[in-house]
Order: sequence, then C-alpha cells, then structure tokens
Amino acid sequence: MLRPLPISSLLMVCLMHLMIVHQITAAPLVYPETSLDASLPHEAYGSVVRIEVATQVPNYREPWKAGRFSGGIGSGFLIGPNLFLTNAHVVSNARRLLITMHGAARKHPARILHIAHDCDLALLEVEDFTPFEQLHHFQLGGVPKLESQVRVIGYPVGGNRISVTRGVVSRIDFNTYSHSRADQHLVVQIDAAINPGNSGGPVLQEGKVVGVAFQGLRSADNTGYMIPTPVVRRFLTDIEDGKYDKYVDLGISDFPMFNPAMQKKFGLSPTSPGVLVSAVIPDGPCDGVLEKNDILTAINNNAVDAAGNILIDGEKVNMNEIVERKFSGDEVKLSIIRNGEAMDVICTLKPFPPSRMYAIQYDVKPRYTTFAGLVLQPLDRNLYAAHNLSNTRVRRLFTHYLDDAIFKERQDIVILTRVLSDPVNTHFDSHVGTALESINEVKVTSLKHAHELLHPENAPDFFVIKCEGIERPIVIPGNKADAASRRTQQNYGITSAAYLGE
Amino acid sequence: MKCAPILPALAILFQFITASCCENKCSTVDLQPDPDGSSPITSPANASIKKSLVRINSTIQTWSASQPWDKSAPTSRRALGVLIDENCVLTTAEMAADASYIELENAESTRKLPAKVIAIDYEANLALLEPNNGNSEGFFSELEPISLGNPAMIGDRVGVWQLEDSGMPIITNATIQSVDIVSSFAQGHFFLTYEAKGSMQSASNSFTVPVVHEGKLLGLLSSYDAKDQIIDIIPPEIIRAFVDDASDGAYEGFPSLGIAITSTVDPNFREWLRLSDDVGGLYITKVRKGSAAELSGLEKGDVIVEVNGNAIGRRGYYSDSRYGRLYWSHLIRGSLKTGDKVDLKILRQGEEINKTATLARPGKRLVAHYTYDQAPRYLVKGGLIFQELTATYLKAFGNDWETKAPLNLLDILASPEDYEEGRNRVVFLSAVIPTPATTGYEALRHFMVTKVNGHEIADIHSLIEAFETPDADGLHTIEFADGPPKTIYLESSISDLVDAELLKRGIPSLTRQ
Repeated sequence: MLRPLPISSLLMVCLMHLMIVHQITAAPLVYPETSLDASLPHEAYGSVVRIEVATQVPNYREPWKAGRFSGGIGSGFLIGPNLFLTNAHVVSNARRLLITMHGAARKHPARILHIAHDCDLALLEVEDFTPFEQLHHFQLGGVPKLESQVRVIGYPVGGNRISVTRGVVSRIDFNTYSHSRADQHLVVQIDAAINPGNSGGPVLQEGKVVGVAFQGLRSADNTGYMIPTPVVRRFLTDIEDGKYDKYVDLGISDFPMFNPAMQKKFGLSPTSPGVLVSAVIPDGPCDGVLEKNDILTAINNNAVDAAGNILIDGEKVNMNEIVERKFSGDEVKLSIIRNGEAMDVICTLKPFPPSRMYAIQYDVKPRYTTFAGLVLQPLDRNLYAAHNLSNTRVRRLFTHYLDDAIFKERQDIVILTRVLSDPVNTHFDSHVGTALESINEVKVTSLKHAHELLHPENAPDFFVIKCEGIERPIVIPGNKADAASRRTQQNYGITSAAYLGE
Repeated sequence: MKCAPILPALAILFQFITASCCENKCSTVDLQPDPDGSSPITSPANASIKKSLVRINSTIQTWSASQPWDKSAPTSRRALGVLIDENCVLTTAEMAADASYIELENAESTRKLPAKVIAIDYEANLALLEPNNGNSEGFFSELEPISLGNPAMIGDRVGVWQLEDSGMPIITNATIQSVDIVSSFAQGHFFLTYEAKGSMQSASNSFTVPVVHEGKLLGLLSSYDAKDQIIDIIPPEIIRAFVDDASDGAYEGFPSLGIAITSTVDPNFREWLRLSDDVGGLYITKVRKGSAAELSGLEKGDVIVEVNGNAIGRRGYYSDSRYGRLYWSHLIRGSLKTGDKVDLKILRQGEEINKTATLARPGKRLVAHYTYDQAPRYLVKGGLIFQELTATYLKAFGNDWETKAPLNLLDILASPEDYEEGRNRVVFLSAVIPTPATTGYEALRHFMVTKVNGHEIADIHSLIEAFETPDADGLHTIEFADGPPKTIYLESSISDLVDAELLKRGIPSLTRQ
C-alpha cells in the first residue's frame, strides 16, 4: 500500500550529478588490459554512455514562474538497437538531452521513449543511431546472490571518463525508491561506492547487467543501491504495448497475525498461514473483493505466512512481490478465510489514480489559480515539499486522502498557499497554508471548481471564502475582485493568472 | 502585541483550573488599600519591607509522559516571596506548581520551614503558601506582613527586591513603561501585566521576586528579559482578586466568558458584517458549550461592540481610565469575578442587541490544556498502556510538538468539539510494553480508543470497567478510531498474569484514576 513517508526520515538520495560539466575533452578510447569480465568484450565500455541533461524544474512556490533552469550528468547503457536504459531521475523535467560515448567528443541529441517515475527507469533513443551501431548490447541477468561480487560502471562526479568500482551484494530487500518517495520495490544493496553521476549506469556480473545504479544512503559511506532486473524486466514488458501503465497494487493494509488472542479470535493456530487484512482502500482494486478482517492465506496459490510473506525461489519475500510483477488488468487469486469460511476471490488489478497524491510528480506544470492576490494550488507531494504546510487539518487531509476516501468527494484539496498583499486582502494572513472548504457556501471539490466559483459570469456582492478550521471567512467584495486581480498580477509579475491543467 | 487574532482569545477564555485549597484561611485584613498611600519611593518604609521577604525553595517534579506511573527527575527553583498575613506567603504559581517539596527560608538563611500551598492559580501565576503543619515554630516572629498597594501609573518608579546570600537587600529601580495583557505561566491565559524598564543582576532566590511601590507591595516579578531589560510585573489588581478569592478557603479562580474572537479591522469583512465606521467590535468565532456566553444567548458570528459600557475597538482594545488602551479581556479577567454580571452590546446582522452574561469558571475541557499538580490517569492492561489525552502529553514531544506529536491527537486538541460526544476524556493507547499478551502489537501507539468489550469508552474509569467483562472465550476486544488495525484482542487470562508480573517488576500501580 502506498503510504507517504515522513519527509525527514528520507535518507535516500538520487545519484544524479547536479553540476553541469560543459567541457568534455576528446581522448582516444583506451580499453583496459584485462577485460571487465571473461564473458564481456572489451568494447563493452563503449556501451556505457554519459547523459548530459538540461532541466527546467517547476516552481511550486510561485507556480506562474518558468522554474529553475538547471542540469546535470548521469549514466546510461545500451540494451538494444537505439535503446538506452537509464534512471527516470536522470532525465526528469528534461528540456534537452545529449548522449556522449566514452572518450568521444560528439554529443548526440536524444529523447525519452518511455519514462517510469514509480520505478525510476527510463528508456532513451538518439536521433541518429548510426555512430552507436557497432556497440555491444548489454543483456539482462538475474538477481545476484548475497556476497557475490558486482561492478558498477558510470560517470560519477570528478571527471568525464568512465569509472569502475567493485562491490559485494550485501542485502536484497524491499525499499523505498526516493525518486517518487512513495513507491517501494525490490532493491539490491551493494557496498561499492556509488556517487552522484553513477545514476543510470549498469551494475555487471559475469558479463550481464544485474542492476541499474540509482541511489545511495546519506548517512552511510560505501552503501549503494541498484534497481534489480525483475524491476527492469517489468518496466520493459509494461512498455511493449507502446505506453507505460505504472505499477499496480492490491490497495490493502495487512497486520501480522502474531498475537495469541488474535489467532484465537480468528480460529487460527500459531502455525496457521494467513495475515489479517486490516484495511481495504475504498475504490481500490480489492474494494468489494476483500473485506476488513479477512485472513489472507494465499496469493495465486503461494501460501502467505502470519507476517504477510511468501516463498519465491527459496527466498521469503513480501507477498506484494507477486503483485509487483503483474500488470494492470491482470487477475490475482486470493485465498481467504472470511468469518471462519475458506474461499477464493479474484482481484483484477487496476491503476489507482488518487494515489498520485503521495508520489512526487515530474514533467508536469504545476496547477494554480489566482484571485485578488490569493494563490490557490492543489495539494500533492510536490506542494507539500515546497511549502511548509503545518496546518493540522491540511496534514490530516493529506494523510487520510486515500483511506478515508476523501478523493471521492474532493478531486483536489485546494490550498491557499500565498496572499500577495493588496489593499483588498491586507487584513488576513492566518488563512495562508489552510485548505479551502467552501466559496459562497459551495464546497470546493477541485482547483478547477474553485476557479469557476471565483470567476463567475456575474460577480456576487461578496466572495465569502471559508477555510478549514478557521471560522472567520475571507471576504472580498464582488465589485473589487477584478481590479484587485489585475493589480496583483501586474504588481507581482504574474504573467498568467491560472493554469488549471491540460 | 503578542495576541495573534484568534488563538490567544480562545485560550484566554476556555481554560479551567484545579485549585488546591484547604481549610486554612488566609485573611485579607492587611490587604485593603492604604487610603493614604502616597509616600515617595525613597521612604524609610523600605526598611520594613525587608522584614516581609521570605526565601522560597521548591523541588519541582512533573510526571513522565511515556511511563505515567513515574515522576520525572526533580529540579529546583529558588525565589523570594512576601509575607502578606500572619503566616501567609505570596509567590507565583510557577514556584508551587508540581512541587514535591516547598520550604520557606529566612533572609539570613539561618532557618527553614516546610510549607504547603493553600491556594494556587496557574492562569494568573499566583500562589499562597503557609507552614506545612500550621505551626510556624516562631519562623515568622521576626517578620512583618506587607500590605498590598494601589495600582501604579505608567511612568511610576518602582523597586524590585532581591536578596544577597548574606541577606542584604538589592533594590533595582525600574520605571513602569507600559501595561499589556500577558500570559506568564499556563499558556494562553492573558492577564494585565506591568512592563517596567530596569537593569537587574542575578542573585540567589531570584526566580520571582517582589516589586515595591510607595512602601507597599506592588506586585510580583513574573519574568525578566535580560536583553531588553524589561521586567514583567503581576499587578496589584490581579493579586487582590486572587487573595480575596482565596480568603474563604475555597479558591475558585478567574471567570471566563467562553468565546473565541477575531478582529474586525478588515474593511471588506466589516462591509460584509454591515458594521458602520463609527463602531469597532470583535467577531465571535466560537461560543463554548455551557459557557457564560452561550447561556446569555451569544452566537457565533455576533460582533461584540461594548462590554459593561466600554466601547471595544476593531482590534479589541478599550480605553481604560487608568492605563489607556487595554485589551478587552481585562474587563472580564481582572475586573470581575465569577458570579458577576457583565453587560454586552452586540451586533447581529447589523442589528444592535443587549445581552447580560453571568460569569463563571469555564467548564471541563475534553483535552486538559494544563495538568499542573495532576498525575496522568492511565491503565496498564497486559502491557498495553492507555492514558487520557492532555496537552501536557502532546507537549512532551518537545519544542516543535505541534508538528512532531501524532496528527490524530493534535486534531483532537485543535477541534475537541468533533470528539466530545459521549466522552469526558479521550482515552488512547499511548504505548505497548512487549509482553506475552502483546506479541505483534509492539509498534501500535497513539490510537484513540472507542470501545472495549462493546462498551463505549468515556474516560479511564469507564475503560477499567469495560475490561472487567471479557467475552465468553476469555478475549478482550479493543476498538480504535484510528488504525489500522481498527480492532485488537487480548487474552484475558494471559493479560492478568502479565499484569501480576508487571507489578512484581516494579510498576507501582497498574492504574491511576
């Protein structure tokens, strides 16, 4: 289940090198004396490319602005004819992409074919593949064993040339992907030094790619993380139909069945399989299929233990691993005990758009509207990160947006993020950072709705805007609103009064 | 001005108090204002003031938020109080709240005497002490009570009294610069306060010290800002109301109207409220259930324009005959006592209406805003720790508790009206001690309890009762408003064994009601 992480506990950092290195010295390609690997040709180095990206990062604090122009360096590698694999975070918000071969001077314009922010992967192509045609195509391998050695190749900070580091696989686990902050997938931890710029580079074992380097840990040295091949394969399969459909999940919360009283209540023995379904997300894929207090005993005939784990290939993994490898529209058989009765139910997996609330959005223009100096923006993870939203009601709406089914009534939680001072609005400021409840007693259901209510054909005597948790409404006289809107746009350089989305 | 438009007013008026009182009375014969109180500050009366100074040493101990059966480590405070009656010493509530031990000490530090609290007001930050067992053992024989003086004026020069270790007085002259409404101890309770300019030195027993004007007690220093050299003084009006209230042995506390208000400065807001330019007024955003305001017929959305004939300005100030512009709350808390009537002129939809409210102490809150001298109420069951929610618990999360404390519990504090039905208090699972009964529940915490064994939970008392009746299988069923999980179970036989074991392991009591 998607859950927002407390921002402070976020230790992962993306490994994109955020310094633009403009000059690349041309140098002849010199391959190492010994091969990377017995099974890998010397030239394989050439298939690890340097990706130079120019970005335009949207400004969620002043959404009418163009945003910050920036850029960085990442790595990528060739996995097929004109198919370069890299991390989504290397190419997010990109305005220009240039790919360089190892040691070469020429920069090849490239573009994104597919991007998957939820698993931090992207596939690029260059405009002209001819110069790359002779290069080696990396093959995908399996999940490396614990303690086995791997090599990380990329263009980390400190130079334009390839860097190779070695490390040992030290842990294989579910973990958070820091790019979206809301997604957890399989992650392989290695003890090789992975540094900014390594992002998107291949991790090799026995000549095959066993992962894509993607994040590190701020609090620990020599700890790197890579995206393992099951996640890469799923991405490549998902895009076979020409578009990326995103991960799907069951949309349930489970609670371990460890407590003796809990077992007794549900008629289970301490050795019985099964985990408690403690909540089902309204409108999620399991709504109407599973019920709270069902005991989930198996997924697709894989027995689920009391902690919610299953056995795959001899390894105990979280039961979500089954769903992880599925796609939208796939069916999953769930074996449950409901009120003491064993039964099988079928869940058809589907995307669940409201969960976007918790994932950082990329490549989208921030939505907003302005009215008489009031700036209104929809609540999402980006907004949450950009503004210091400390209001208890807002935090509660954010946290319970899915499980309290708030999304059914409110497509957006509209936040008053700023009041641009103007004679018409100069006497309130405690309203900033709160959520709009109603406008002239009509409940606000989305940003577009708020925009429409604030820009009616005939202005009312007063616009009375009620914010959640504040009894004193904001009052703007109808006959002054237009002039105030124009004045604040003029004074504060707001070139466009609203962007409500495509 | 320290008042943000909405919150402080809320806080000013919705608090409750638990005054600890006893049979002993502290008479106020000496506290009548002296009709001839106009001697200059340099008067020889200074010599006799020294004779009313008493050192106070307190050992303060609060309760542990996470292990509510424990007291936290003691800290000590040393202050100067003043003898205001035969054996009755005045000091601030800060010196007596949560005190495990209080002793009086003479100026020369040659004698000590254990003392107890006979009246305390955490909101006004005042306390009265007397000898522990009624026997002063001659401690006061060298001392002379000081009488309470008249209110001062802005510009008056006053003397702040401290004592050297030797017992010699240090007198700092200060000038009263302004008056304001300040909250000095229990957060959000605003009272008239003098602000005087003067440069003080640090000396022993200076946590709070007396301030003298014209040979009489003017007030008590409640805080000193060393940077700006501003001395906050609790004024004689507030002290007099406190002492008068305590004089019958049953301390009641300062009254409250029971409303939250916001200013009407915004011209658009005024236009919408149909307020004419010649009135000020405060907009009522909240009327507390059962409060004096509600009983008098005040409603949310009314605009208060006059209190007892004093016109209230757009920001809540009125013209006080002595002090000039003063925040309106002084007309209620500081000028009147419980049972007094107050005339209110309000505007409702532009129409003038007169109401009369009979002032009272505010009712009990769902979430206590302060809990001085009250041990937290809790129940340990099989290792599950249940407590009643208080602001004190939430504040234990540290300086940024308003963002760090659990969101669901903060919401109850912010909007108690959403949770009041069927509850005296909010009972929540505060933590889980790992035991054989709580296997699998170790990570659960900060869930509000709604039902146990089918019974609605209104407070710790009802929780204890509900646990007396497990179901036929011997299971306790505990339901939460939060979660998941929304429901957990506890084996009653195992939890009873665990409870017995926890007592053996040193938890002194499994419950406090």
